[in-house]
Amino acid sequence: MSAGSPREGQAQAPAPQDRGPAGNGGLSRISRATHLKEALLRNAFLVCACVAVAGVTLIFVFVGYQGWPIFAKLGIGEFLGGRVWYPTKGLFGILTLVVNSLLAMAGGLVLGAPLAVGTAVFLSEVASPRVREVTRPAVELLAGIPSVVYGFFGLVLLRPIIARVFGGLGFGLFTVWVILGVMIVPTIATLTEDALRSVPEGIREASYAMGATKWQTIWRVLLPAARIGIIDAVILGMGRAIGETMAVVMIAGNAPVIPDSIFKPFLTLTTVIVMDMPYASGDHRTALFGVAIVLFVISMIFVASIRVISRSRGEGD
Amino acid sequence: MRRRSRVVLLLAGLVALAMTAGCSVGGPAQQKLTVTGSTTILPIAEASADMYQAAHPGTRILVAGVGSSQGIESVSQGTSDIGTSSRELAPEEKKLGLVDTKIALDAIAVIVNPSNPVRALTMQQAAAIFERRITNWSQVGGHDMPIGLVNRDEASGTRDAFSKIVLKGRDFDRTAAVLPGTGQVRAVVTESPGAVGFISLGFVDRGVKAVAIDRIRPTEATVADGTYPISRVLHFFTKGQPKGLAKAYIDFVLSTPVQDAVVRDAGFLPIDKALK
Amino acid sequence: MRSLERVDKRLTNGLALGVIWLAAITTVAALGAILLYVVVNGIGSLTPAFIFTWPHGVNMEGGIWPTIQSTVYVTALAMLITTPVAVLAAVYLAEYAVQGRLVRTIRFAADSLASVPSIVMGLFGLAAFVEGAGLKFSVLAAALALSFLLLPIVMRTTEEAIRSVPRYARWGSYGLGATKWQTVSRIVLPSATPRITTGVILAAGRAAGETAVVIYTMGTMINAPLFPSDGGRTMPVHLMLLAQDGINLHAAYGTALVLVLMVLAFNIVARWVSRRNRSMQG
Repeated sequence: MSAGSPREGQAQAPAPQDRGPAGNGGLSRISRATHLKEALLRNAFLVCACVAVAGVTLIFVFVGYQGWPIFAKLGIGEFLGGRVWYPTKGLFGILTLVVNSLLAMAGGLVLGAPLAVGTAVFLSEVASPRVREVTRPAVELLAGIPSVVYGFFGLVLLRPIIARVFGGLGFGLFTVWVILGVMIVPTIATLTEDALRSVPEGIREASYAMGATKWQTIWRVLLPAARIGIIDAVILGMGRAIGETMAVVMIAGNAPVIPDSIFKPFLTLTTVIVMDMPYASGDHRTALFGVAIVLFVISMIFVASIRVISRSRGEGD
Repeated sequence: MRRRSRVVLLLAGLVALAMTAGCSVGGPAQQKLTVTGSTTILPIAEASADMYQAAHPGTRILVAGVGSSQGIESVSQGTSDIGTSSRELAPEEKKLGLVDTKIALDAIAVIVNPSNPVRALTMQQAAAIFERRITNWSQVGGHDMPIGLVNRDEASGTRDAFSKIVLKGRDFDRTAAVLPGTGQVRAVVTESPGAVGFISLGFVDRGVKAVAIDRIRPTEATVADGTYPISRVLHFFTKGQPKGLAKAYIDFVLSTPVQDAVVRDAGFLPIDKALK
Repeated sequence: MRSLERVDKRLTNGLALGVIWLAAITTVAALGAILLYVVVNGIGSLTPAFIFTWPHGVNMEGGIWPTIQSTVYVTALAMLITTPVAVLAAVYLAEYAVQGRLVRTIRFAADSLASVPSIVMGLFGLAAFVEGAGLKFSVLAAALALSFLLLPIVMRTTEEAIRSVPRYARWGSYGLGATKWQTVSRIVLPSATPRITTGVILAAGRAAGETAVVIYTMGTMINAPLFPSDGGRTMPVHLMLLAQDGINLHAAYGTALVLVLMVLAFNIVARWVSRRNRSMQG
């Protein structure tokens, strides 16, 4: 999603000669009123662009204001490092939930990333135009299906199947992995396809000219060339997986423990909010906002790491 | 279903506003009734309020689910006209001059998969199962099969009652699946041979088997005569004898259409079975 | 030896391409399974009475009309708030901005906004709009919270649309003595409009399917909102509550189908807009 914003370097802002009369060249030839109007509009657009900055700041301020008291009361170590989440007994350690969220994300990634990269390679390198015409809309639709529908599907179809095949109740990491694996495919596949397409055609031709097969070209040439873009895509997929809520809450089973099997119920950072918010009050409610702070920080770390990776590439070239 | 009290207040307000918008100006003075208390009773109180208001334009019934204790507190202080409660009055609350109207019975059935040969449990066994002191069905006379525990969420009135009556306030096993709805518990137990859960008796269907507790099978008869142990009475409390709109509303809730439709749809048993 | 190597090479190639085909087929099959399941189970519920009447009783028998109304209302209001801001912000980034710290900050903020989990956005909306600004559970509070979620999406698609307008179109305008704003408003934005529209429609689909943001900002009461200050229950929230209860699955399947059909419609319209545009240009 986000890293798809045109990157500096790839799609440069219009070159100076495109800037037109608002640049310094034409100033003398336009009236003062026009100049003023242009400047006003420019600043109005700038204000709109800064809404994004204001948005991030507001989220930080409001969620932080509601959630910070729990950090202050328990101490950061106690809140993040406490292993027992037992609100009715006044215990608000979220380590278990952090671990569960990471487990859910990791498994979803292991299933979803290869599927997504494979689909992207298919779209960009293998499929004929006609097959692509069918496959790409499918990937886009997969992105459009609301997460509550994924959750419902998981609850009423997938969970009973898993319960029958593997025993147990059907709630657990395995069920969540399957659903998350599918859910992150569009995120990763779209960006991976973009990355593969930005590899110059000449490189493919050179590879074929040297007698490489299609697969050798893909594996030895294209995937390494698109490496950075794929890593970005996978990190975004991780963000999507760890932040997913409505699909997970219906199939996770919501037990506040680290499960001893992938077929046992577990509770995550996102699902604890859905389960507890309707009745939480006092410290409990504050702790849920504290969990939201943690989720916010995790998503910021993902975005920042994409930045760092992209920038290191820029310096390396 | 879990809804925040504010939501409910707002809903009731909006419904009432929509209904009275046309006739409030210059019409008869609007009658208002506030019903506050148990979240377990909320579905009944809400659905009845909607039906009553539809039949009697010009009335406005505000329903809020804030918990039984809050309900008793607010009716005794006069901030609401009816306090709903899923528990009896505590000794010190009996001095507050509240009049009790019983409106429904809630029996909680312990359900297992129909293929499970276990037909009866003692109260102690049921407690031990949900505390995971018993982990295999063979320990209570069934097959050698691990027990799959299904619990309700913390906000559930059913869980609260089960915890008080069966576990005597001790802790549920924390590895149990926590599901946010009765239907989900029922579906899981229907599909999984080793599963066990608890739901209101009214929601028990052919897909699950309700086990006997202390040799008493949960039926309408055993609940009505009070022999089935996991049950409770749902109350409306008023300050003094109910009168005016409060009386009309309570009578409406006790009327056959509400008792046979709304009360049963919500999974409870009609009160008239017990009293008449 | 050499021929063996060639066979090996060809075998690997064939196997690997097979795996790639398998990945693509799995992806399409997953979509097919979800759509098929929702359609097969929901089609029985899909009657005019289900769509156009109100739910009643403790288990939400009857229809889902107010939830459809609420969904359309909050989606429309969210797009109305988001689109102008996002488009103008994209105009700034694509046409006016000079690379520098400010632009980097804006881009970083937009990327961050895009990856904030929707549940966090929901709690933010609750704290900032429902409680902070005193909007209560309302369509307006939900639309505002949603607009933060949609802003980066519409910004990105708009910026791409603007950048895809050929440079010579701008040169012609400047050559005739037009100012920057004249060029942007009369040349660049009109040519980019079909692609911007596609982006806006896809974002609307995202808004219509959002659950976690809406449930904490609009509440769960069944209501047909008239004013932006009214609350309501959208289809995704209705589906979530029905699925959680698990009693009236019939209505849950029907709601899921209507919701999926609505999202499908958004996608098809968006595709139609962009295709018409392509054929007009080509």
